[in-house]
Amino acid sequence: MYRALAAVAIVTSWIFMNCDVGLAHHSVAANFDQSKTLDITGKVKEVEIRNPHSQITLEVAKPDGSVAPFYVEWSDKNALMRRSVSVDKIRVGDTVTINVSPSRRLPNLGYFRTATLPDGTVLKDCGFAAFRESVAKGTKITC
Amino acid sequence: MRSKIAIITLLLSGGSLAVYAAGKRAELNGVWILLRTDIGKVQLTPQGEKMRAAYDYQKDDPDFQCKPASFTRIMHTPSPPIEVRQRQDHVEINYEFMDVRRRVPLQKGLWQENRKPGGLNLKNAPYTVHEYPHLGRSVGQYDGEALVIETEGQRAGVLDTLGVPGLYQSDQMRTIERFVPNGDKMEIVVTHYDPVYFVEPLTVTYTYLRLSGGKIEKWDCKPEEATFERFVPKD
Repeated sequence: MYRALAAVAIVTSWIFMNCDVGLAHHSVAANFDQSKTLDITGKVKEVEIRNPHSQITLEVAKPDGSVAPFYVEWSDKNALMRRSVSVDKIRVGDTVTINVSPSRRLPNLGYFRTATLPDGTVLKDCGFAAFRESVAKGTKITC
Repeated sequence: MRSKIAIITLLLSGGSLAVYAAGKRAELNGVWILLRTDIGKVQLTPQGEKMRAAYDYQKDDPDFQCKPASFTRIMHTPSPPIEVRQRQDHVEINYEFMDVRRRVPLQKGLWQENRKPGGLNLKNAPYTVHEYPHLGRSVGQYDGEALVIETEGQRAGVLDTLGVPGLYQSDQMRTIERFVPNGDKMEIVVTHYDPVYFVEPLTVTYTYLRLSGGKIEKWDCKPEEATFERFVPKD
């Protein structure tokens, strides 16, 4: 029991001592609950790949037949380009399912995790940590 | 022949003056991405605590106006790289985040008591980023293997919104940055001295990794695309 507690304490200390920039990135963490995920299916209305954050607007069908916008925030354009994310696969007019971390404040907003495209392929973004690791190792980014 | 000797002598003396101005140069040239950040102990004065408690990240963050709050804030954004270009009499530091292009003149002996009167100092140095006077005036010099930059004249406002959100700075803040090369890594140790908001100086250490073949891209931030208010329904 004591050994288990000691192991937990060591691991926890290690995490705090090696405070990664991902943990320090409070802007995303402050606005989005990264412990939760949500699938949002809708028709792609707009894809704005830009800085400081990219944005995808989905038109989501409501039970009464009307549609409501759902906004998906994503990484900055420059980072997505450096990570070679195939952003052009998300096309206006397509129906896609985007898995997001929901906003802490707004019900119509989430942060991009993955996108399931009309042909069933899943578009992933490896993220900055994977990119950084690939630079350190001199390898191609994978996730 | 005499004129040739004179030219050679002139070139050599010019070269040595340049070396004097630059000191022993650290090898920092290149494009760098952030590997990790270590934030030292934050010890705020009662005024600093009060400001931090009142900070509202949705209203007070200069990011939403596409304005770089401070170099500390700029470097806390993990993905956009920075570029260092060492010149004979100055150093260019280009931050991709918010398109910040910084120029730091070099002045050897800046902190020595017997420095030459009338020389460049923190009062008469140009703004380190022409477009953003609030970032103050900087002067640098080499100290062994490190490039050391001192900055003053920073204007009162938000210091950090990301590493430690809600830190403020006064116009009395003095900042020392040490750029220390280590092969394909570089450390930038930033120390802020601000008697208004900090009981003890705040030190943040950024470790960067060389991004071979990397390039600084345009950021082109637009306030209407940066604020969270764009998501709030209008009706």
